[in-house]
Amino acid sequence: MKVSYKWLLELTGLDWPVEKVAERLTLSGTACEEIIPLSKYLDKVVVGEVIDLQKIEGADKIKKATVVTGREKYDLVCGAPNVAVGQKVPVALLGARLAGDITIKKVKIRGVESIGMICSERELGLSDDHSGIMVLDGKAVPGTSVIDELDLDDYIMNFELTPNRPDSMSVTGIARDLQALAGVKIRKPVFELKEADRKTAAYIKVDIEDAVGCPRYAARIIDGITIAGSPWWLKKKLIAAGIRPICNVVDITNLVMLETGNPLHAFDLKLFGSDRVLVRKARDKEKFVTLDGEEHELSPDVLLITNGNTGVAAAGVMGGLNSEVKTDTHTILLEAAYFNPRIIRKSRKYLGLVTESSTRFEKGVDPNNIPYAIDRAAYYFKEIGGGEVLNGIVDCYPQPIFPVKISFRPDRCNSILGTALSSDRMKEILSGLDFEITGSNPLNVTVPTFRPDIEQEIDLIEEIARIEGYAAIPDTEVNIGPLYTPVHFVDRFEDEVRSVLTGSGFDEILGHGLADSRQAKILNPDLSRLRIINPVSEDLDIMRNSLILTALTVVNHNLSHRLIDMRLFEIGRAYFPPDKDGNWLEEDRISLTVSGNTSGSWREKPRPQDFYDLKRAIENLALHFHWPEITFQEIKTNFFDESISYKLSSGPTDIGLIGKIAEPVAKKFDIKQEVYIAELKINPLITISREAVIFEPLPVYPAAPRDLALVVDVNVKVGDIIKLIQKTAGPTAESVNVFDLYSGEQIRKGKKSIGIAITYRSPEKSLTGDEVDNLQGNIMAELKKLFNAEIREK
Amino acid sequence: MSLLDEVTRLETEALREIKGADSLEALNELQIKYLGRKGLVTAVLKTLGTLPVDERKTVGAQANRAHQDLENHFQLAAQKFSTTRGKKDFDPTLPGTGPRTGTIHIVNRVMGEICHTFYGIGFETARGPHVETDHYNFEMLNFPPDHPARDMQDTFFVEGGRLLRTHTTPVQPRELEKRKPPVKIITPGKTFRNEEISTRAHVSFHQVDGFLVDEGVTMADLKGALVAFCKAFFGSGLKLKFRPSFFPFTEPSAEVDISCFLCNGVGCQLCKYSGWLEILGCGMIHPKVLENCGYDSEKYTGYAFGMGVERVAMLKYKINDIRLLFNNNLRFLRQFA
Repeated sequence: MKVSYKWLLELTGLDWPVEKVAERLTLSGTACEEIIPLSKYLDKVVVGEVIDLQKIEGADKIKKATVVTGREKYDLVCGAPNVAVGQKVPVALLGARLAGDITIKKVKIRGVESIGMICSERELGLSDDHSGIMVLDGKAVPGTSVIDELDLDDYIMNFELTPNRPDSMSVTGIARDLQALAGVKIRKPVFELKEADRKTAAYIKVDIEDAVGCPRYAARIIDGITIAGSPWWLKKKLIAAGIRPICNVVDITNLVMLETGNPLHAFDLKLFGSDRVLVRKARDKEKFVTLDGEEHELSPDVLLITNGNTGVAAAGVMGGLNSEVKTDTHTILLEAAYFNPRIIRKSRKYLGLVTESSTRFEKGVDPNNIPYAIDRAAYYFKEIGGGEVLNGIVDCYPQPIFPVKISFRPDRCNSILGTALSSDRMKEILSGLDFEITGSNPLNVTVPTFRPDIEQEIDLIEEIARIEGYAAIPDTEVNIGPLYTPVHFVDRFEDEVRSVLTGSGFDEILGHGLADSRQAKILNPDLSRLRIINPVSEDLDIMRNSLILTALTVVNHNLSHRLIDMRLFEIGRAYFPPDKDGNWLEEDRISLTVSGNTSGSWREKPRPQDFYDLKRAIENLALHFHWPEITFQEIKTNFFDESISYKLSSGPTDIGLIGKIAEPVAKKFDIKQEVYIAELKINPLITISREAVIFEPLPVYPAAPRDLALVVDVNVKVGDIIKLIQKTAGPTAESVNVFDLYSGEQIRKGKKSIGIAITYRSPEKSLTGDEVDNLQGNIMAELKKLFNAEIREK
Repeated sequence: MSLLDEVTRLETEALREIKGADSLEALNELQIKYLGRKGLVTAVLKTLGTLPVDERKTVGAQANRAHQDLENHFQLAAQKFSTTRGKKDFDPTLPGTGPRTGTIHIVNRVMGEICHTFYGIGFETARGPHVETDHYNFEMLNFPPDHPARDMQDTFFVEGGRLLRTHTTPVQPRELEKRKPPVKIITPGKTFRNEEISTRAHVSFHQVDGFLVDEGVTMADLKGALVAFCKAFFGSGLKLKFRPSFFPFTEPSAEVDISCFLCNGVGCQLCKYSGWLEILGCGMIHPKVLENCGYDSEKYTGYAFGMGVERVAMLKYKINDIRLLFNNNLRFLRQFA
């Protein structure tokens, strides 16, 4: 919402500098985002009179103009079609900086030296009009600054409004806040409307079929109007509000809307087509052309102003092309109405239009200010357009809207705000906002209908707070409420996962949660997908159903930036559509991804990362959270290579998946190197996590380390060998580690050699060599028996 | 000579010989002589089995200790002959080896820091679904149907009649319904807005909302808590400015600006030369919200606040493009190690 600073001063009688007006309004809830000086491009621009125009040889479009600006006389080159001798015009002198980055320099065009420029409104930064030069009032005095001549020593104040304050969408509304803030009284314009004898009611009647959509509709007729340009003072007020002046009729309706907040609409009565206004819901598929030339197929969501038969305006949104005011318009039917905000909102959404008028109706205009607004406009039509205002308003108000009455307790106000304001101060603030007050405790407050946002006591408390200023509310320095609360167990779990995994050299990534259904289908065509009805783009049309989608996208991104070695993890959610019982599922998960080489160093060569790097990270988590043993069960999926694809479980608990991304899938993500991913489920992992570890006494007796080298078939699983050793030796085998694995030239085909280090220890005594040998012997016998192992003891 | 004396003698003898060893080879030989499988100390240990039970315990413990001690002495003595020791060509400037540490994502780190600051003044966290109902995301929070306030929140709708939560505030009514006052909670997490992705906007961002409901909670308490938070989080010299604003679920509502931590309020590019940074929204919980959750709004009052994690992170680290936070480029992520 843009407002002229000077207009605010005019209404309030204040003499505050623009910065102070901006600051005080911002701190009371009407945020001033921008202050734009209207005179920004008017330095060194003066009034000049054109005294001569000469053709330039060899040029059709440009002429040599001679202008006088007081004592000086200049020859300028001008190409505007409307330039004429005797005009008073704005002349930009040497060094002037105009809109559009134009700086005036001495130039020579077709042999004519030009040291200035006659300007259009666009060049002065006043409007978009560049059809010709701006022509000033004939009474303007040459040599005076254009700033003074046009009263442009003003600022556009651009306010960012909150959706709850329709009253701020008018100069009067903003001035009313200043009234309360500064303790002054608004000077409401006084005018006397002189009406003709002919009665409005004799020429038009109003019927409202949909009183819910249109609780009030008022009409006036102004006859004998002359369509012309508006006087400068009117244009300037519109320019300072960012509205382009068009012609007197349109400009006047806009001016009154800016002043009062009530949008008005002017029809050409001759084109209106009847003597009856009928407000009704549009019929399904009814055709209507708005004045921007667009044809719409309507629905009953649109409220339509009709002439009893065809539509003439989409109520509160935009007028119709068929009844638009034109240059030859002679008689005007003027509308001022109150439309239901919810219905206008629906209507403008249906039409896909947002206008100055719809924005105001949608927030709620003042239904009881309609007579004032329509009279104010009629007054201007008479004064400026020379029209004859017919007698009386045809005012149809089937559903009167009354002011709300609220009981207000000053002590409740203080107890909500934590303040100690006096009841008198509260009264002062509320009266400053034009609320009527009777009684003392509680105060009986009547809320005018220009403040539909005020519904209950708390709303009045906010009014007190914002006008008094939030700075007046103290800061409590004691902590209230519980002083200790436990950290949520999932947050804690996730934080610990973060520290274990970053400690294991994994970088955390973060997905936004949305995904591309085409990619999800590649990954897993059978997994259900939650579709977004109104996606922002077609590649973000579902919620991800696996963290692997994000992981592969991130791998691809980094590869395309030549970052090929990575260890990544994400803690995030996967989403699914409701199941057949209507239960919605979102699952917190962890993804772990490795691809490319290990970092390596001068001491260790980099090597490709694989399944076992992921497994170590999971083992680190298992150690930290004391998870019971994790088992690997082969599964078939669409996205993992069938050679390395496992379901992870701990006992009966399913905890996730691990595998190597299948090559065709990787290719679809433009990934040409091996990627290993594990996706774990957080909830089951939390259930198997153990916190307390009971202390074990440190060993007293020495350990006996022994190594074992064996050759077995390649298909024998090392895990099974380790299990057998542990089973055979019992707890005496304190640790069993694999220190070597070899298959190749020195081993027969189909065999592998495994080096295993076993540490024996008893908590009760020193083990003798014979005892250890005995255990080793048993183990070797079992290994031979069960795995047909060839054994060589070290 | 008793076996105990034998152990002591062997130990003394071994220590003397270790001292005299003049090369690593000599030392290794000594280690085999005493501690090898057929070594002198090992031999004593092997005879333990033949002793009577009483004696076995005392001699055994002594012999084991001696065995362990000697092992340590051999290790220490071996360091003397280590190839690098004392040599001039040792290079401490070579990079260290072993895996480097990973990095926590900057958004999660900042979110964690915000949460931990609130833990310090007694808030706990609560979580809620990301795919929400209109009921909790809007209705319970006093957004009437077809109200312009809903336009402030560009909403994604999903099939099945739900939407992607536009803020973490729906956790507030969810928790209030479940609990009894005092309730003092923060709700960190992901939120979604239907916006074109640009340098300033993304389809997803993270929020930390918080609220306190109890008897006698005032707006002064809200100001106090937020002043404490902002000073703890951004720096103690900070100034705060509370400006009236509008949220359907709070009344009175406020927007909080902090004095720019980069220029101390003088004016710089970060604060667009205003000296202030808009950092969070807050207010007193609207009585309608409390009543929607079954609370007597005459008896209980409460405050609520919320901030965008990406915004805080971008301001704090002067990140100029929100997309960097979701691209997960390793060169970007690792800057925040």
